[in-house]
Formats: sequence, structure tokens, C-alpha cells
Amino acid sequence: MKRLSMDDRLAKNRFDSDDHNSHILVDKEACRSCGHRACTYCCPAERYKWDTINDKLSFDHVGCLECGNCRLICERLNQGAEGYSWNYPGQGIGIIFREG
Amino acid sequence: MSDEKFQVIIIGAGVAGSAAAYRLAKAGREVLVVEKGRAPGAKNMTGGRLYTYALEELMPGEWADAPLEREVTREIMMMMTPEDCVSIDSTFGSLEQQSYTVLRAKLDAWLAEKAEEAGAMIIPGSTVDGLIFKDGKVAGIKTGDEELEADLVISAEGVNATVAERSGLIRPVNLKDIAVGVKHVIKLSEEIINERFNTVSGKGAAVLCVGDCNRGISGGAFLYTNKESISLGLVVDSQSWKNSKLPLADVAESLKQHPALARYIEGGELVEYSAHLIPEGGFNSLPQLCADGFLLAGDAAGFVVNRGFTVRGMDYAILSGIAAAEAANEAIEAGVYTKSALKSYENKLQQRVLKDLGVFKKSHDYIAHSRHLYTTYPRLAADLMKNIYNVDGSPAKLVTGLVKQSISGKISYFDVFKDMLKGGRSL
Repeated sequence: MKRLSMDDRLAKNRFDSDDHNSHILVDKEACRSCGHRACTYCCPAERYKWDTINDKLSFDHVGCLECGNCRLICERLNQGAEGYSWNYPGQGIGIIFREG
Repeated sequence: MSDEKFQVIIIGAGVAGSAAAYRLAKAGREVLVVEKGRAPGAKNMTGGRLYTYALEELMPGEWADAPLEREVTREIMMMMTPEDCVSIDSTFGSLEQQSYTVLRAKLDAWLAEKAEEAGAMIIPGSTVDGLIFKDGKVAGIKTGDEELEADLVISAEGVNATVAERSGLIRPVNLKDIAVGVKHVIKLSEEIINERFNTVSGKGAAVLCVGDCNRGISGGAFLYTNKESISLGLVVDSQSWKNSKLPLADVAESLKQHPALARYIEGGELVEYSAHLIPEGGFNSLPQLCADGFLLAGDAAGFVVNRGFTVRGMDYAILSGIAAAEAANEAIEAGVYTKSALKSYENKLQQRVLKDLGVFKKSHDYIAHSRHLYTTYPRLAADLMKNIYNVDGSPAKLVTGLVKQSISGKISYFDVFKDMLKGGRSL
């Protein structure tokens, strides 16, 4: 099977996304001082990227698989530091696994 | 408000929650299950395989219509280097088959329906925001603008147990006790799967792989045959992966290219890409399992045992759901919901779930910290087999010589001995 881009992989899934309200909040300015940026290589859906031009984190909650790995590898999300929070989306929004 | 009060509210319609709901409803209790997914199973994922003795215990003789994919009649262990692979391929004609591959969207929907038929009320699409406390006792849940009261709340909310954590009932889960799983579901016809795995409809294989597939990080890859699809994925220790700085999604995608796996999925079409966490910490990471008016079951409680060759979680989830329902029934009979009254839950779990977790309490530490398992040994196995089968006209050597040649310079005999001894005592 040929390699698929992340967009192509995620396009196979069913999502009912709230495009405007993210269930995960991160403070991209504050993220500049992060020493490991583990979110950029530990997220199975590659939702976190380091924007090298602006030297800033970019994050897109749409396409999140809601695994919760970022909640654990990021100390700030884990401790709910100011500007950071991790929740499941409400009202059945978000990923809808049809296989699981 | 009193007429809206339930006897039991269960958070989560996964296998633990629905098992508890099924049992409670059968006992005539007023039970409500609140599920965050659009439908039961919508947020859940497994590798995965279910050991079906647990379904038999939940509903003796009543699970014939469960949406199981294929009975696992063939177990394959693969040790991989980037190019080579050594497999141990086992079929047990002498054993009653005990496990089936499953897909959670179907399985969970079915089990929730069973609970509903038995009389439980299930509300999907509702995320629980918090618990209601009265005089220090859990007395219900908050979801959206609503508050729903109950004599007892069972949290079967899954591995990210944010409700129980944030209400202070359990300590937050620790990164070192978590593994992350990534899975591709690849569609292929039933006939092609039968052919490729040398099997017949209804029967199939479970493949577990270590080595290059997980880049030497604690964990492994898996492949399960479903009826008309293949589940192919990767499970790795979250903390070790964080330390490795390797791109997880890329490595998971590369699985599809490894020659030992690629041939099984050739021509298939990806139909779903998913990810989920697994609480692998085991016995040493168990949280508090009960509080006043509150019980914890399934992944939320961390009832998983990973021994490398078998990974069990869903069966323990079902058993814990049954135990929670029994403990809840006793509490309702007695009209007492204190933590000490609910201790009977732990006693019931002690018979098997906690007993197993206790027996394998060293397995997580062994699997997470024996680095040779994922690097040196797969390489040794591949080299040894290559040497054994190699005939190129050069002077031949006895097997003992080949073993020495394969091991030489890669690992000390003492380390091999230590890993074997420790493995034997941990797994």
C-alpha cells in the first residue's frame, strides 16, 4: 500500500467537528518556552506542528483523534496551566469511529 | 428532582459500562448510562481481540449474536529487523478457541443495545462535566446544564478518566503507565483475507511484532484479521516515545511498508485511522477503586495486563463491570453506599482481575525497560536463522558455532541470562 499523507488518512474518518471551539486549548505564545515540543512528534494525528517561519506552535483541533496522548506528554496540558486545557468535545462532537 | 433520581448512573457505554448496566438492569435496577460518543463505541478503539469467556460470564449462552469478527485460530509472533523477519507461527488444534477479533464501533453498540433491552436507559452524545457531591458522597453527575442524581455512580469513562481525576477521587494517571496505540483499518475482501492467511471464513490470525516496527522503543506492532478488513497498528510506551523524539505517525505509517506486513495488506484500502491510549501500568499503578457512592471500572481503573504475547483489557473490563454491578446490587439492597460498604467490589475483583494484575505486576516494568527485547533479540533471531539457512559453499559450522557467531559482540551472555530469568518471573 502506498504511503498516505496525514490529510489523506484523516479524510477516511468521520468527524463532526466544531470548527471554531477547540476542546483542547494551548497558549501558542507560552509554548515558545517549551523545552521538548513532544506534541509535534507524539500526536498520532500530527495536529501540533512547529511553524519555523514564525517560530511558533500551530495547532488544529479539527482532525483530533481524542486519544489524550498530548494531555500526558505536555506538562502544561497535564497540569492545566493557565491557557492550557484538555477536554473531550461535548454533545457527541468530534471523532466518530465507524470501525474502532 | 427526586423523581429523576436513578439508583445507578454509569459514565461510559464501553464494554465495562454496558456490562455493568446489563447486569443491573437485569436485576431490575433503575440505571442510566451516559456516553460521550454520538453512539456507544464512537469514541472507542481496540487492536483488537476479545477473550470471550468474559461475555459468557456476563450473559451465559446469550452472546451468540455478538458482532465478533473472526475466531483467532492462529497466533503469529514476528521479530523484525528493517529487512528481515523471523516468525513463530502457532496453531493449536488441541485447544478450544477462546478469542475473537473485534471492532469496537460494532461490539459496543451491540452490548449497549443488550443493556437497553434489559431495561437500562442510555443517553449518547452527553459528555459528563463533573460529579455532584452531597456531604462528601458522590450523588450524581453534571452534563451540560443538567444535573442528574443517583445513589451510586460507576465511572467506566475510559483511560482518560478526567471526571474521576478532576473530582479528586483518583490521582491523575501517570505518563509512565500509559501506552499509545495507532491503528489502520484496511479493507480487503473476505476471500483475499482467507487466502492470504490460509484460513476459512470466520477464522483468522493474530500477529504481534517486535523490533524495527517499533524502532526499538518499548512496544510492538499488531495485525488482526477481521471479517472483511485487517487491523494493523502500533502500540508504544508513551514516555519512551516522548524520549525517543521519533515521529509517531510516520513510524505507524511505515508499518505498511515493512515487507513482512506489506504482503498481507497489498491492494487494500484504508477505511479508518484511529488512535487511543492504553493504561498499561498494571498492579502498581492501580488507583483507588471506590469512594462513598462511587465505583471505578474498566480502563478508568487501569485493568489491563500486557505480557507481550497476550494483551488483555476488554475481558477485564467486562469482569469489572459485572463485579461493579454485583457490589452496587448489594449496596442497594442494604441501602448503604459508603466506601466501606462498597469494598465488596474490591473483594470480588480480587478473585480474578486483581489477582491476575498481581501475578503480572512486574510485566509492565519488564516490558518497558528491557531494551534488548526490541533491538538486540530481533536482530539476533534474524541473524541466527539467516546463518542456519545459509549455504554458500563456505566451510559449514555447527549450530553452537552459529549461535556464538550471531551473539558475538552484540550482547553478553550474562545479559541474555538475566533477561530470560527476569522475563520468566515477570510475564
